[in-house]
Amino acid sequence: MPASRRVIYPYTQQEGTMTTRHREDARGRGGSSSPHAEHDDVAPAVAVDGLYKRFGSGPDAVTAVDGVSFAVEQGSVVGLLGPNGAGKTTLIKSIIGTVLPDAGAVRIMGVDVREAPREAYAHVDAMLEGARNDYWRLTVRENLRYFATVGGVDPDSVATRHDRLLDRLDLAAKADEPVRNLSRGMKQKVSLASVLAGGADVVFLDEPTLGLDVASARTFRAEIRRLAAETGLTVVLSSHDMEVVEAVCDRVIVVADGRIVADDTVDALLRADEHTLRLTSPAFDADVVTSLRERFTVTDVERLDRGARIEVTADTDGLYALMDALRRRDVPLTEVRSVDPGLDDVLLDLTGDDPGRGTGE
Amino acid sequence: MRAVLYRELLVFVRYPANAVGGIVVAVFFFGVLFYGGRMVAGRALTDSIEGIVVGYFLWTLSVGAYSAIANDIGSEVQWGTLERHVMTPFGFAPVALLKGVAKLVRTFLTSAVILAVMLLVTGTRLHVNVPTVVVVAALSVASVLGCGLAAGGVTVLYKRIGNWLNLLQFGFIVLISAPVFELGWTRVLPLAHGSALLQRAMVDGVHLLAFPAADLALLVGVAVAYLGLGYLVFRYATRRARRLGVLGDY
Repeated sequence: MPASRRVIYPYTQQEGTMTTRHREDARGRGGSSSPHAEHDDVAPAVAVDGLYKRFGSGPDAVTAVDGVSFAVEQGSVVGLLGPNGAGKTTLIKSIIGTVLPDAGAVRIMGVDVREAPREAYAHVDAMLEGARNDYWRLTVRENLRYFATVGGVDPDSVATRHDRLLDRLDLAAKADEPVRNLSRGMKQKVSLASVLAGGADVVFLDEPTLGLDVASARTFRAEIRRLAAETGLTVVLSSHDMEVVEAVCDRVIVVADGRIVADDTVDALLRADEHTLRLTSPAFDADVVTSLRERFTVTDVERLDRGARIEVTADTDGLYALMDALRRRDVPLTEVRSVDPGLDDVLLDLTGDDPGRGTGE
Repeated sequence: MRAVLYRELLVFVRYPANAVGGIVVAVFFFGVLFYGGRMVAGRALTDSIEGIVVGYFLWTLSVGAYSAIANDIGSEVQWGTLERHVMTPFGFAPVALLKGVAKLVRTFLTSAVILAVMLLVTGTRLHVNVPTVVVVAALSVASVLGCGLAAGGVTVLYKRIGNWLNLLQFGFIVLISAPVFELGWTRVLPLAHGSALLQRAMVDGVHLLAFPAADLALLVGVAVAYLGLGYLVFRYATRRARRLGVLGDY
């Protein structure tokens, strides 16, 4: 991931929502303690401050969004992750105005949505429910033109862009076909195309690759990165597809129970500078393991009939030192495996295990 | 505005089956009413056939406009397009209103065909001064359009109640035949005053400009009031749906 695409953080997380590591990371990046400290003159594409939404009342009330604050730099791609019911969709809908929040402020491209909703929403489009969102009785091209028009754009002025987009998403051959005649995956691509073709500066995509085949998902990833790099499009996407998130997102915001529990780059979340190795050796006796524990972070030890299997976490220098130490003691290794956690492991760790919990989606 | 109207035109031209089906059903029911009524009531029915034809014409217009807009709003919720419109610079309410206008134009075309068939079947002659009929009928149905917008708003809030709201269509018969001469206050109800003026225009041949100014003013006033009220109800309902987080539910 190019360093130049790293996100500036005009807003910091509320203290209670950050892990120690993330607070440290934020300080390391120059995270500010002021909730409105701007790092430059360019307004964030999306600035959310203290957003709160509760459904119902009394003991059955559900707080779906609980004092969420963050900002998204223009031209960046941000992933919104969390288990089912974490509040991701409500958060997105509260930002784009299809759900009215109880408290908090939202600014799109510097425009307060409460003070000037028309001006603010002129910058936004969203794909909320996959294959829905379009008129199935219109053709693919007619949908693109229609939604560009109601988005405030002259469709003729973006016709070339539409053609290019249709081409890139492999929809050109179906451009004049009514959407209802297309497969589900194709309909999903039409939804995506009509959102991307509308000329919005900021797009919200809720599960954009759900139902797409492998090739289409790959095309989607490439197109999102291209649009962000070439046109400065800002993308906020919610997805359970970690491959997509890792491939396209500059930054990830993890939500659980309506709160942000982590907000960082993908690399930082994955601790790209840390590696975990699982080593098996008949020479791993109590003496060797004790000596390794004294020098390295041994996270797991499993006794075997002969020797043991251990897991060691270390950075690159630590791994070199580990290998040197093993060689000095003539420890033969019968198995060496990298067991670095994936983004899904990190997500489960941050949100507290059960992906199905929660009630506030 | 052009985009919304163009979309409605495309759908109308591309999928004529709905319109043709509506015409066939309307003509069929009129046939049942006419021939069945003649068997039961004999001359009594044929003596008042002009009034029945005009009333049926206005009813088909009203039902067409009302159900088109009310059901269409429900469909937009299901398609996910209503939510998408909400975040456009225009919002959905003006789009819904424009769709209503487009539906009205479409309904005029289909009801004109139904009117022609009714005149042929019954052998009745009516005064069809197009500007007079179009203006009086359009203003009459505008109040129904307002009811359709309000019903659409209620559908957005409470979802699957479209079938119950469709029952209101039968209430239009009562409004169209309201005794506006005996009970003057009924003139402020939707359709009632417009229906009386349309009868005079088509049965008695009264020209638009020959109506008293007060009658025309009341016609316009009722149309604007119900349309405005329906628009406000729709806006309130969608705002409440956004507050409750049920706008996109279906």
